[in-house]
Amino acid sequence: MTAEAPDQPPRSLYLHLPFCARRCPYCDFAIVVGDALLQDRYLEALLSELAWMSASGAAPRPLQTLYLGGGTPSLLGLGRLGRLLAAVEAGFGLETGCEVTMEVNPEEVTQATAAAWADLGVTRVSLGVQSLDDDTLVWLGRGHDSRTAESAVATLRQSAIPALSCDLIFAIPVQPTATFARGLDRLLSHGPDHISCYELTVEPGTQLQRWVANGAVPAPAEEDFLAQGKLAREALARAGLHRYEVSNYSRPGSESRHNLNYWTGAPYLAAGCGAHGFLGRSAAAALGIVGVGERVRYWHLRAAATYVRSVAAGEMGLRGREWLAGSELALERLALGLRLTSGVELSTPGQLEAGRRLAVQGLLLLEGRRVQATPEGMDVLDRLTLELAVA
Amino acid sequence: MAAIIEVQMGAPPSRIRNFSIIAHIDHGKSTLADRLLEATGTVAPREMTEQVLDTMDLERERGITIKAQAVRMPYRAADGADYELNLIDTPGHVDFAYEVSRALAACEGALLVVDASQGVEAQTLANVYKALELNLEIVPVINKIDLPQSEPDLVAAEVESIIGIAKERCLRVSARTGEGIAAVLEAVVTQLPAPTGDPSLPLRALIFDCKYDPYRGVVVYVRVFEGSLRGGTHIQMMAGRGVFTVDEVGCFRPGMEAVDELAAGEVGYLIASIRNVRDSKVGDTITEAGRPALSPLPGYRQASPMVWAGLFPVDSDDYQDLKEALDRLQLNDAALAFEPETSAALGFGFRCGFLGLLHMEIVQERLEREFNLQLITTAPSVAYRVNLRDGRQVEVDNPDQMPDPAQVASIEEPRVKLEIVAPREFLGGIMELCQERRGEFRHLEYQAAERAVLTYDLPLGEIIHDFYDQLKSRSRGYGSMDYELAGYRPEELVKLDVLVAGNQVDALSTIVHRAQAAGQGRKLVRRMREVIPRQLFEVALQAAIGGKVVARETVPALRKDVLAKCYGGDITRKRKLLEKQREGKQRMKRVGSVEIPQEAFMAVLSLDR
Repeated sequence: MTAEAPDQPPRSLYLHLPFCARRCPYCDFAIVVGDALLQDRYLEALLSELAWMSASGAAPRPLQTLYLGGGTPSLLGLGRLGRLLAAVEAGFGLETGCEVTMEVNPEEVTQATAAAWADLGVTRVSLGVQSLDDDTLVWLGRGHDSRTAESAVATLRQSAIPALSCDLIFAIPVQPTATFARGLDRLLSHGPDHISCYELTVEPGTQLQRWVANGAVPAPAEEDFLAQGKLAREALARAGLHRYEVSNYSRPGSESRHNLNYWTGAPYLAAGCGAHGFLGRSAAAALGIVGVGERVRYWHLRAAATYVRSVAAGEMGLRGREWLAGSELALERLALGLRLTSGVELSTPGQLEAGRRLAVQGLLLLEGRRVQATPEGMDVLDRLTLELAVA
Repeated sequence: MAAIIEVQMGAPPSRIRNFSIIAHIDHGKSTLADRLLEATGTVAPREMTEQVLDTMDLERERGITIKAQAVRMPYRAADGADYELNLIDTPGHVDFAYEVSRALAACEGALLVVDASQGVEAQTLANVYKALELNLEIVPVINKIDLPQSEPDLVAAEVESIIGIAKERCLRVSARTGEGIAAVLEAVVTQLPAPTGDPSLPLRALIFDCKYDPYRGVVVYVRVFEGSLRGGTHIQMMAGRGVFTVDEVGCFRPGMEAVDELAAGEVGYLIASIRNVRDSKVGDTITEAGRPALSPLPGYRQASPMVWAGLFPVDSDDYQDLKEALDRLQLNDAALAFEPETSAALGFGFRCGFLGLLHMEIVQERLEREFNLQLITTAPSVAYRVNLRDGRQVEVDNPDQMPDPAQVASIEEPRVKLEIVAPREFLGGIMELCQERRGEFRHLEYQAAERAVLTYDLPLGEIIHDFYDQLKSRSRGYGSMDYELAGYRPEELVKLDVLVAGNQVDALSTIVHRAQAAGQGRKLVRRMREVIPRQLFEVALQAAIGGKVVARETVPALRKDVLAKCYGGDITRKRKLLEKQREGKQRMKRVGSVEIPQEAFMAVLSLDR
């Protein structure tokens, strides 16, 4: 691997806001459905954790990215969101041009809410469109129809929030490829800067998994994955959105700077239930996380109520950590780096040999020591990673 | 003085009982043995572990006995006299049938343990018949009568109808609770005959097992039939020819305990600076070098490997470790043979000979567990005799080494005389099985009204795979079998090769009968398609005979394998999965560019016929 990156302080913060109006059948995130009473207590806990984090000195420099993920962060309401963002700004500082992303559902978007979010400092909305086919949206258990979604996209485009990303799901068993293609085209006509295009994944423990297991719903098909994946890639490229990660497409310069942290191994802080952070030794030490290794990934209690109790008890909701060094870190960097179309540097002769073999098969492009997956390679990226990892 | 001598000398023959326990797996042999050891005070309750006599982890886990054991128990009977009871525990599988027969030959009687809810089962029967042939007295013991589903009356009736022992003679016990154990000990004394044998005749002692002790050399398990053995005796192995001087004789209580003498009728061990278990062959007769017996005890058979397979380390760096491990196992396993083998596909390894498939599995499992080796085993083969056109004859136990067909005049395959004992009602299915396996009917007779003894002449190669399992399933478990080598016969045999992605894989070749070759080839590649995981490219699997492809299958290329979402919390999970997959991948063997899992090399074994 390349020489160890120096121990940089984190310039990014992820905040988890777990509240949702309903649980979608395919979702396995740490969320809370319909407990309005918990929202205030949760906010207080989150503010306490932020205050503690800020006081620790783990992030001495202003943030470059802030991400409000969920759940449905916008459900928290403008008042609470305002307090939260003010606390972040006061505690950490936001660099000029800081990317502040918030996840939003289409049914919450109005001109008024969009303007209010812009006033709060949100610079980027990640909108959960998922599909533009009404039957499919019902099947997915979403709270919006295609008109709502399209109007949300249009409203946000006209709002003061400069950047818009839309989430789309493909390879949905009930959505034919032609329907998916039409929806994608309509979405692109609104000119989003960024699209996250995920295949439908059957996660263990979800309603969807039970449906698939008992035969009520067919499993997502490999053919749909391949056909719709290729179709999306090509349509997005025509619209000027290039693929920069397995599931992420953007106009040049509109990549999610926050999410790039995950794949480049940059440090980030995290607060809130279920949230994962990743830090170097100095920042970890400031938070009182000690152990042997070069980097630490740490995470919070998954259940919101437990998290609230833990913060109240002075334990800041921390649930676990793992220190990484040497081969573990190298494996992670390889696996994550390959997800980016910018690729990774291979280090060993064995890896280079495997890289050449995979290049001949048309799965990798190899230039010097640098490899990047081809579109076909991206479809089987996990196996490619394994091939390079054992080499 | 006299008192001391009496203690050291052991009991007179009239006070000795030598017996074995015959039982089906799980019918409670080991538990019963444990209870007998406890009841006679041979093992103090606080020293009891489960299955005292099964000392290997593998034995305890699989509930089988691999090595024989012999333990001496003191017992004061109801008649007030002190007896010496020798319990000889035997292995229990057809692979070890010969070893069992020798252990039984060391006894005058046997306890037949039958589960009170399961009834008489096949394995039991095979050994019962063996015991009856050796004129052993049998005491049936119906075990597990404490279980609610037990039906001791039905089982007793079954014992009477199948084996011909009056149902009134069946003892009823629960080895678990200890109920009825006292009656078992009394029956051993009153119903089993005492050994006979003249201590003044020239020495004849039967070797029924041996084990290697790293500090003392080979410990030989013996039953003295005539004469006596003591320290300093110069002994000669009548078949093995080796001459040794006895350092020590003793018995197991259950630990080794030296005694002055083992006289006619007694069971125990001897140590005589024997370095190699091959010098102490099971079934051989020990006599006195200076005053040899006229003839050996009957029944000696050279134990030789019946099946051969290649064992290769997954990691070629482990070759030396594998060699050392095989050396170590061989110290204690005279039936295990091995020699270096090189495979283009699998690298350096060993061609190993085994008594049968269970023996092979046991060796493989011990190598993996006790020596921490990761192995690939190739499909087992028998040894063929190949007559070359130039008049030479070569023995080939590795299909890949089969000479070029142009040089081969004929191939002879080993055949066995197979004896099957089974209730009459199952004969149809069993005979069908023998025909399918190219068997030739020889003989049928009835031992009792319902019990048939069927003799077939059939190729050894046809019974090493799943014949035994098939026999059991076609006789609802009641059929039992035994076989011995019965010469060679020329057959129309061909080598079936397997090509993976166009490359012939030497370790996948098998020898098959020409008439079955194409069908076998089709099944083989179909099965391999199931066990070879999809790769990043399409993989062609072909079966070929003499260069002509007879079957083809394709493992389609992997087209989708990617995690769609990989953010904060997904990363750890992803890395852990990768680490696990990496480990799994390292257990596969790369042949050319294709990764082949271990199961593929054994695929031929899991073909249904």
